[in-house]
Amino acid sequence: MRIGIDVGGTHTDAVVLDEQDVVASTKVLTSANVKDGVVNALDEVLSQSHVEHGTIDAVMIGTTQFTNAVIERRELAPTAIIRVALPSGELVPPMIDWPDDIANELGRHVYMIHGGRTYDGFPIAPLDDAEIDGAIDDIAAKGIQLVAITSVFSPSDPAQEEYVAARVKERHPGIRVTQSHNIGRMGLLERENAALLNASLLPLADRVVQSFAGALTDRQINCPFYVSQNDGTLMSAEFAAEFPALTFASGPTNSLRGASLLTNLDDAVVVDIGGTTSDIGVLQDGFPRQSNIAIEVGGVRTNFRMPDILAIGLGGGSLVLDGGNTIGPRSVGYRLVTDGLVFGGDTLTTTDVIVAAGTANIGDAAKVAELDAGLVGTAVDKIHSIVDNGIDQMKSSREPVPVVLVGGGAILVSKSLDTAAEIHRPEHSGVANAIGAANAQVGSETERIVSYRRIPKERVLQEMKEILTAKLLQAGADPNTVKLADIEETSVSYMADESTRIRVKMVGDLSFTSRGDT
Amino acid sequence: MSVTITRSDIADLCAGSVFLATGGGGDPYVSQILVEQSLQKYGPVDLVPLDDVPDDAYVVAIGEVGAPTVSLEQLPIGTECLDVIDRFEAWVGRKITHIVSFEVGGANSVIPLITSAAKQIPLIDGDGMGRALPEAQMMTFAIEGVCPSPAVSVDYTGGSVYFDTKDTLLYERQVRNIAMAMGGMIFTAEHPMTGIEAKRAIVPGTISFALEIGRALSANYGNAKQIEPSLMALFDNSDYGIFKHLYTGKIVDIDRKIVGGFDVGEARIDSVGTDEPPMTLSIKNEFLVAKVGDRVVASVPDLITMVDHETSSPINSERVHYGQRVTVFGIGCPPHYRTEKALEVVAPRAFGFDFDYRPIESL
Repeated sequence: MRIGIDVGGTHTDAVVLDEQDVVASTKVLTSANVKDGVVNALDEVLSQSHVEHGTIDAVMIGTTQFTNAVIERRELAPTAIIRVALPSGELVPPMIDWPDDIANELGRHVYMIHGGRTYDGFPIAPLDDAEIDGAIDDIAAKGIQLVAITSVFSPSDPAQEEYVAARVKERHPGIRVTQSHNIGRMGLLERENAALLNASLLPLADRVVQSFAGALTDRQINCPFYVSQNDGTLMSAEFAAEFPALTFASGPTNSLRGASLLTNLDDAVVVDIGGTTSDIGVLQDGFPRQSNIAIEVGGVRTNFRMPDILAIGLGGGSLVLDGGNTIGPRSVGYRLVTDGLVFGGDTLTTTDVIVAAGTANIGDAAKVAELDAGLVGTAVDKIHSIVDNGIDQMKSSREPVPVVLVGGGAILVSKSLDTAAEIHRPEHSGVANAIGAANAQVGSETERIVSYRRIPKERVLQEMKEILTAKLLQAGADPNTVKLADIEETSVSYMADESTRIRVKMVGDLSFTSRGDT
Repeated sequence: MSVTITRSDIADLCAGSVFLATGGGGDPYVSQILVEQSLQKYGPVDLVPLDDVPDDAYVVAIGEVGAPTVSLEQLPIGTECLDVIDRFEAWVGRKITHIVSFEVGGANSVIPLITSAAKQIPLIDGDGMGRALPEAQMMTFAIEGVCPSPAVSVDYTGGSVYFDTKDTLLYERQVRNIAMAMGGMIFTAEHPMTGIEAKRAIVPGTISFALEIGRALSANYGNAKQIEPSLMALFDNSDYGIFKHLYTGKIVDIDRKIVGGFDVGEARIDSVGTDEPPMTLSIKNEFLVAKVGDRVVASVPDLITMVDHETSSPINSERVHYGQRVTVFGIGCPPHYRTEKALEVVAPRAFGFDFDYRPIESL
């Protein structure tokens, strides 16, 4: 048995899963201290399902608390950044493009020192211990407890970040460190930003992880718990306390993962239709396809592993104009229940149209009985063509694909779609996030720029696999289940020695799921 | 007429130069930060119209050489574009009177503004390509017979290499290998020329033109159909001469591999809502050849630019992926590339294609 919990800004959802079957589910309000909401949700699903606490193998939690802390600029602690790169990057210092309001929360405690390596491992400048120690001691003298460290090409060679981190620990054991190679990929500014955000969230992460642990202890649940990451994999509670930033955007990811688990589909397009917008994402091998553009979190550029989501302006509250030819993107949003025709308002929305068409039973159908049948027909067709268009942009082959519809607005789609080989409308889709959180895999990835002329590809892959396997074991994976999930190679333009950027991802099952096999 | 570039112009100038980069040139994000800082500190830059350059001027071309992908990780110091001037002048023993950008496509369109602002050296409104192309022999300076050396490069650690190479192809080979050895990216000053040579060899007005494109893109923000009339008016009244809508459709296939240090590939675009045959785009860093069915509709040195159909933002060739709704435009190249001599190094055959160049207006 597993429990999945999704802590959102408004609601906390919980489900009890027996393998893939939903045994119990609930939606309660998120509490100000988060813990009470989690306890309430737990009580609700435990009493619904009558499961013995001892039979619960694991609890998986997805949370938006860290994303919200960044967006709302709260609970971010003062944090210093040491960048090992000089002389390169001298005039592009850390935090240069940050909005002032969030930069001021962390304080602009910027330290740039000599070092870093080129793409092929040559030192840019030698490390200087006196310079390193000077920066570290200055940070300590200011009373700053958190430090992010980044060095040039650390995803290929983390040794310099590790060296500086070790000196911090040696000189001032109380200071906590986030090394950028542990959190981001190629792209110095974006990875540095990610490390800074992560370090500034560490005190909050301690409180959050403790409050989750406290909620479980309160209810005598003594199994391990895990936190979901933005790539659809899990991390252990200890790991989450070190890398809270890896939870950014785990909400849409969990929604996609949940849709996969509810339908048993590994490859599909998932359309989550809400009141104002629809989010369209793609499942590939059971995981969300990831975006490869720079993503801003609270106005800060990062290169986190975010799911590739297309948001389109179609929802249950979208305005219907032009005799049904224009739908959205404007919407009455949460005012649907007062402004929509079927609710006695005077605004024509998509919900009114489907009630008039007789494909949904919401509100008072008599209030739309007079609607022109031509308009209704046009609007229904337009709704379907908008969804079709969105799916077509996202799907990764020309053939029709399985489509999963979730969310309150899924009823807008009543007919077949040209892009859909089949349409699935799973039960429990309202708690898809919590179900997605309860998935049972851990994952890790790493990236390098290499020249296969100098180092054979087999050796590069072998080294990367060894690093990833070690990380997965640390995250709680069963060594027998660790496997390669993805290899992505991109050429590096305008280079004469055929350099390639290679990214490798591996996944593994958490130890408990294979307990019976060993 | 002289055009002044201020800090608030830089975002538009970058957008316009990505448009002219025809899929190449890399992401100008870091360059934009550096230039904005610099103009904030030193004030705006007046571009010098090519016609105003005196015959006895000593003009030097400057810009970055290397792999844009690498410089996303190993950032520039930010002063390379200043140091290179000092070292060049010290070595050659002569004051540079004017500088000019290598290429208007991508980051090289904006970095010379830093040099001009900080060193108070006039920057000519023009460049050596009018677009982006990968190699030194493809620059109009080289085509017009300007010797690449003396040339100086500064790398991202502050070190320098001096070139005294007369042959352009050999220089290209040297500078490419030095860029690799120095971490992937270097900044160079090269192709020194007199004012007389400059007037023959430089594609005029391209920096201010890139700014106009950027302004048109932001002022008419919307889908490709909406921006088309303003872009067409701009290009039709410029040295580029012609602007054509080539295709609108959806990327249905993208195949890429590395050959000889270049990102080589082919993208296939299917028409949406018409039965027009699919478009294939051949890529070698930049978009080089566009075909509809078997018919060539545009080829290098004419410009082929792809934009996101909904937002009209230009798409870098490295960012092309399945499902994107795109519009492809074809644009005539500057007249400098239409000569027999130029076509030897920039026509389709120079990139390994087995057909002759035909101007876009005849296709």
